[in-house]
Amino acid sequence: MTKWYNTVGEAGDIVLSTGIRLVRNIEDFVFPCRLDSEGRQKVSQLVRDIVFDAFPDEFCYIETDTLTYMQRLSMAERNIISPEFAGRDDKNGLILSSDENTGIMLCEQDHIRLQTIMPGLCPEQAYEYAGKIDKAIAEKVKYAYSDSIGYLTQSPSDLGTAMRCSVMLHLPALSDMGRLPRLARSIRSLGFSIRPVYGVHSRTPGDFYSVSNRITLGIDEKTAVNNLKSITSHIAAQEHNAASLLIEDEAWQDRIFRAYGILSTARLLSYEEFMQLISIVRFGSATGVIDVPLEKTNMLIIGGQPATLSVIKGVDDTSTSRNAARAKMVREVIRER
Amino acid sequence: MLCQNCGKKEATTHIKQIFGGEMSENHLCRDCASHLGYGDMLPGFGLNISQLLSGFAGDFDLPAPARETLRCPKCGASFGEIVSTGNVGCSECYHTFYERLLPIIEQTHGKSRHTPSHSSPVKEKEKTKEEKIAALRLEMSSAVSREDFETAAALRDQIKTLEGGETQ
Ligand SMILES: [Zn+2]
Ligand SMILES: [Zn+2]
Repeated sequence: MTKWYNTVGEAGDIVLSTGIRLVRNIEDFVFPCRLDSEGRQKVSQLVRDIVFDAFPDEFCYIETDTLTYMQRLSMAERNIISPEFAGRDDKNGLILSSDENTGIMLCEQDHIRLQTIMPGLCPEQAYEYAGKIDKAIAEKVKYAYSDSIGYLTQSPSDLGTAMRCSVMLHLPALSDMGRLPRLARSIRSLGFSIRPVYGVHSRTPGDFYSVSNRITLGIDEKTAVNNLKSITSHIAAQEHNAASLLIEDEAWQDRIFRAYGILSTARLLSYEEFMQLISIVRFGSATGVIDVPLEKTNMLIIGGQPATLSVIKGVDDTSTSRNAARAKMVREVIRER
Repeated sequence: MLCQNCGKKEATTHIKQIFGGEMSENHLCRDCASHLGYGDMLPGFGLNISQLLSGFAGDFDLPAPARETLRCPKCGASFGEIVSTGNVGCSECYHTFYERLLPIIEQTHGKSRHTPSHSSPVKEKEKTKEEKIAALRLEMSSAVSREDFETAAALRDQIKTLEGGETQ
C-alpha cells in the first residue's frame, strides 16, 4: 500500500484524508500517568505481541528513543503520532504499519492510541480497519470499560466510544469568501469542530482544515462516522459552489498561474510562502484551471513540512538549507511530466 | 498567563502543535479556544482539563475529612490529584469518584451515558422522578453553558412536565 498523501481518494479534490483514532486501556494496569516503567514495558510488549500475532508482517515496532527529535517531529507532521508523543524523549513504544498509515502509540496518554489515516473521504473504511485491529487486541486482553460511560480513559474527555473521526479538508474558496466563521458555528452545533491543520492561531498558511467529532459520549461510532461523512459532503458541496464562482474571476486565474510560476522557478521557498502558494496551485488543480495532478500537490504539502523535509532530503534544520531544499524539491516535482 | 489570541483573558487551554518545524505551545482563553475550534479539549492536542476539573471541585466536593482520606483502592489516587493533573489514575477511579466526576463528564460531553455500538443494549436502571429531574437540570445547565438554548428550552419543558406531574 502507498502512503495516504501520495494518492487521491474519494472527493479527493477537497478531502485529503480521513482519520480514525481509538483510545483503549487494559483493565489489569493502572493508566499511564500512574504506571511505572516496568508496567509500561509490560503493556507495550503485550500489545506488540498481540498485534504481531494477529497481523504478521504488517507492522513493525519502534522504540522512540532510537529516533531523532527531527524524525519524531516529521512523524507528527505526517499525522503518524501526536505532537505530545513526538515531544517526549524518554523511551516509548510505537507500532507502525509498513505503509505508515496506521500507528499505535503505547502508554502515551492512554495504554493504546490507535490511529489510521486513509486518502480521501472514507470514514466507514477507516473505522472498519481500525476496528479490526481493535477487535484483535480485545480478544486477548480485557479493556477498561463500563456499561454506563463506555471505554474508560485517562482523560474524561475521551470517555464513551473513545473514538475520534476526522477529515482533512482543503477549503480555499470558502476561506477566501469569508464563509468559514459561519460554517464553523453550524459544524459546532452538530457536535463537530473545525480547525486549521497547519499554523498557530492567527498564522494559518494554506487553508487546510480538520473537522472532527467533539464529543465521544452518548453517540455511537456508526452515528459519528455517518455524521462526519454527511457534514463533509455538505462542506464539499459548499466549497464546490464557492470555487466555481471564484474561478470565473480572471484575477483568481492569474493568481493560480502566478503561484505556479513561482513554485516552478523559485530557488528559495520559506515554509509560509510555500504553504500559501501550494494551496493556490492545489486549488487550480482541483478546479481544473491548471494541469498539475492533485497527487503531486498532496505529496508536496507533506514533503514540504520542515521536519519532514530535513528527514527525507537529509538537510540540516536551518531555514536557509530547508528553503533551498524545499524549492528544489518543488521545482522537480511540479515540472516533471 | 494571558490568552495569546486576544491578550485579555486568562489562558486556560494549552495546545501543543508543530509549526514551521518546531514544537510550539499555544495558550488560549476559553472563548478564543472555542472560537478557533479548540473548545472541545481534543486530547492529542495537549489540552488541559485540570482547569475545568478545578472549577467543579469546589461545588461538588465531599466535606474536607472525606476528601483527605478517600483514595482509589487500585491506584491510590485522590480526587485532589485527579483534579490537579487532569488525569484519572485508573479504571477503578471512575468507580471510586463517580459522583464527583459525573459533572465534569456532563460538562465535557453534554451527556453522561454511553451509547454502545454493538447489539448488547444497555439496561438502564429505572430512575426515581427526583433523579430524572436532577439529571435533566444538569443537562439543561450544560446546554445553557454551551449556548444551546433550543435544547435548554426543551429540557426546561421536560422538567416542568415532570414537576407538574408531582403536584397532580
Ligand atoms: Zn482569548
Ligand atoms: Zn484509580
